[in-house]
This record gives sequence, structure tokens and C-alpha cells, in this order.
Amino acid sequence: MVSPRIALVTAGLLLSFGGVAAAHHSGAAYDMEHLRTTEGTVKTVNWTNPHITFVIETDAKDGEPAHTLAFEVSSPGVLTRSGWTKRSLQPGDHAVFHYAPLRDGNPGGFLVKVDLPNGQELSFSLTPADQ
Amino acid sequence: MKTVVKNSATLCIAVALIGMCCASRALAAPSDFDGVWIPDVKDQHRQETENVPPWKPEILPQVQRLIAEEKAGRPFLVLSHCLPHGMPTWMLITHNAFEWLTTPGRVTMLGEVDGNRMRRIYTDGRPRPEDPDLTLHGYSIGHWEGDALVVDTTAIAPQAYIATSEAVGVPNNGDMHIVERLYLAKPNVLYDELEITAPKVLSAPWKTTRIFRRYPDRHYQIIEGECEQEDLVPGKDEYGNDIFVSHPQRPDGSVNTVK
Repeated sequence: MVSPRIALVTAGLLLSFGGVAAAHHSGAAYDMEHLRTTEGTVKTVNWTNPHITFVIETDAKDGEPAHTLAFEVSSPGVLTRSGWTKRSLQPGDHAVFHYAPLRDGNPGGFLVKVDLPNGQELSFSLTPADQ
Repeated sequence: MKTVVKNSATLCIAVALIGMCCASRALAAPSDFDGVWIPDVKDQHRQETENVPPWKPEILPQVQRLIAEEKAGRPFLVLSHCLPHGMPTWMLITHNAFEWLTTPGRVTMLGEVDGNRMRRIYTDGRPRPEDPDLTLHGYSIGHWEGDALVVDTTAIAPQAYIATSEAVGVPNNGDMHIVERLYLAKPNVLYDELEITAPKVLSAPWKTTRIFRRYPDRHYQIIEGECEQEDLVPGKDEYGNDIFVSHPQRPDGSVNTVK
């Protein structure tokens, strides 16, 4: 039995993301000019091609309740060459996430950098000379 | 008379030797191309505007619409359903690495996105197949000209895109023919000069170049990865074996956020 709330959330997500993009795509759906920062905890790691996704739950803060964000990032190959491993971000990890939000306002974005509590920064570059 | 015969025989032998020499040179790989090559993505982006394909007038409105859609934040999906990039799109727009392997009679390019990203370029002197099945990467025959590998690719599926970015591309619609000249501009810089003839969508052959770089000191590998639309996560079967199980996700290909 699916609760009405979950059903509603699911329907909302299907509707809201259905038109955004699918699979391997241009970054045009994301607003790279207006990066945002949020703190939260990793819920799901989806280390897959063509693009990796991380789902996080934001911290409840300043009266704003916790909510779910889905972050997309580059591919396993690009992240591995940038120094990540499959284990760099794991469910339960708390971190600061810098991301380009979806232009249509839906809860998600393109992850550009992660600050870990130990001071380590996780980012990536498509071109190794930039690393 | 004897002298004429002797001279003719000498000439024949010389011609035969030159021919053998050229043939063996054409079949031999003269330079070390092996390794992991990373695309120069910045140059790819420059090419998007500096060297656009000569689209046929009736095709151009499609392309203009795709460009406008991308600018509006609604990118079209050139790459979807985990299909291989196909040719020439793989060489033109990939953001991922490929590994070049030279073996006798063949060059193999192994892609990174999943196991089906592979080009086989036969350098054993074989002719084109007479009636090949069409595939997204086509059938590639190569030969060495000096230090360059010249590759002729035909039998490409009509659905294979000619793409200038992940959001802008048009299927070739059939009869595409690609000639590439691959050479090392520097020891760790690979140039791929492509000439793409696609009479259904291009008004003239399109010449363009893509750059790939090798970083031997970094010991890069191509990374194993699956491109399963129903993304998989580690789980257990009824015997307690470690297996992958399907993980629900949204239509955009990312994971479902419902808790």
C-alpha cells in the first residue's frame, strides 16, 4: 500500500523531471551562472554511466525543513581521473554541496564541488590539465 | 636483346620490391599510438561555433531549433537509451576516454561508457565487405600512410547522429562515408582529421578535426562502467549471494528520491 503522500511525491517527481532531460545530455538544463550551496547527508549513490547521481537530504536549517535533492555529476571515468573513487561519497556522509540548480526550479542540480568535513574538496575536470 | 631482357627483369624485381616494401609499410603500425586518450573538450566546444557542418538547407531549421532549445535550457538528447555514440559522434563529442590498442592487422578503440563502445579498424588489407550489416560505428578499414592511420568507415546505420554537442545533432539518414586521418601531432597529442560525407543531410563533405591527449605519467585507465537504464544497486538473492538488483528511478535517468 503506497501512502497518498508518497504517491503524490512520486507523481510530482515524474512530472517535474520528465521534461528536464534523460540519460546523457547537455548541461543546458542547469544554471551554471548561479551556483548554490547546501549542507546535507548523502542518501543514495548511483555510480553509473552515462552520468552519476547522488541523492541527498538537506539539513533542516533556518526554519526550512529538510528536503531531498538529486544531484547529477559527470561520468565514472571523469571522476576517477579527477581523484574520486566509488567510495568518495557514501550514504550517510555529511558534506557541503555546491551545485548549479535546475533552471526550471525543480529540486536538483549539477554537482560541481563537495566539501567534506575533513577539509577535503571533491571536484572534477573534463580536461586533466585543469586538475 | 639479352641486355633488354636483363634490364626488364631487374626493373620488375625492383618494382616488386618497392611494392612489397610499400605494402608492408601500409600494414605496419609505425608509431606508438597505444594508451588511454582523453578528448580535448575545450576544443570540442570551440569547434561547435567555429566549424559547423554544411547542413543542407532543408536540414538547417532542425539544427537551429536544437540550438535554440539548448539555449533555453531544454537540451535535446543526442545520446539516449545507452546507445553507443556511433560514428562520427563518438570522435566528435565524447567527454570520456578511449583506449587505443594496436595488434597485428587491427586497431581497436575501447570506449569507456560501457562494453559496447568499441571500434574495430582492420589494417590487414581486407576489402570492404560486400553486403555488411549496418551498425552505429560502421565498418572501418585502415591503412598506414607514413605515420598516419587512414581509416575509411562505411556501413553506418542511418540512425547514427552527426552531432556537434550532446544537445545538437541530426541522424545521418543513410549512405554516410567517413575518412579519418589519425596521427600524433606531438608524442602525446592525437589528431583525428575527419571528412564526413553524408549526402542526405550535408550539402558537401564536412572536414573537421578533434584532439585527444595522452598522459602517460598519470597511468590512466579506461574505467569499467555500466550504462543500464534501470540502474542497479548491490543486493542479495534468495541464497544470500551478492547480486545487483534493479533500483527504481525517474524518467530522467537519475535515481528515485522517494524515501
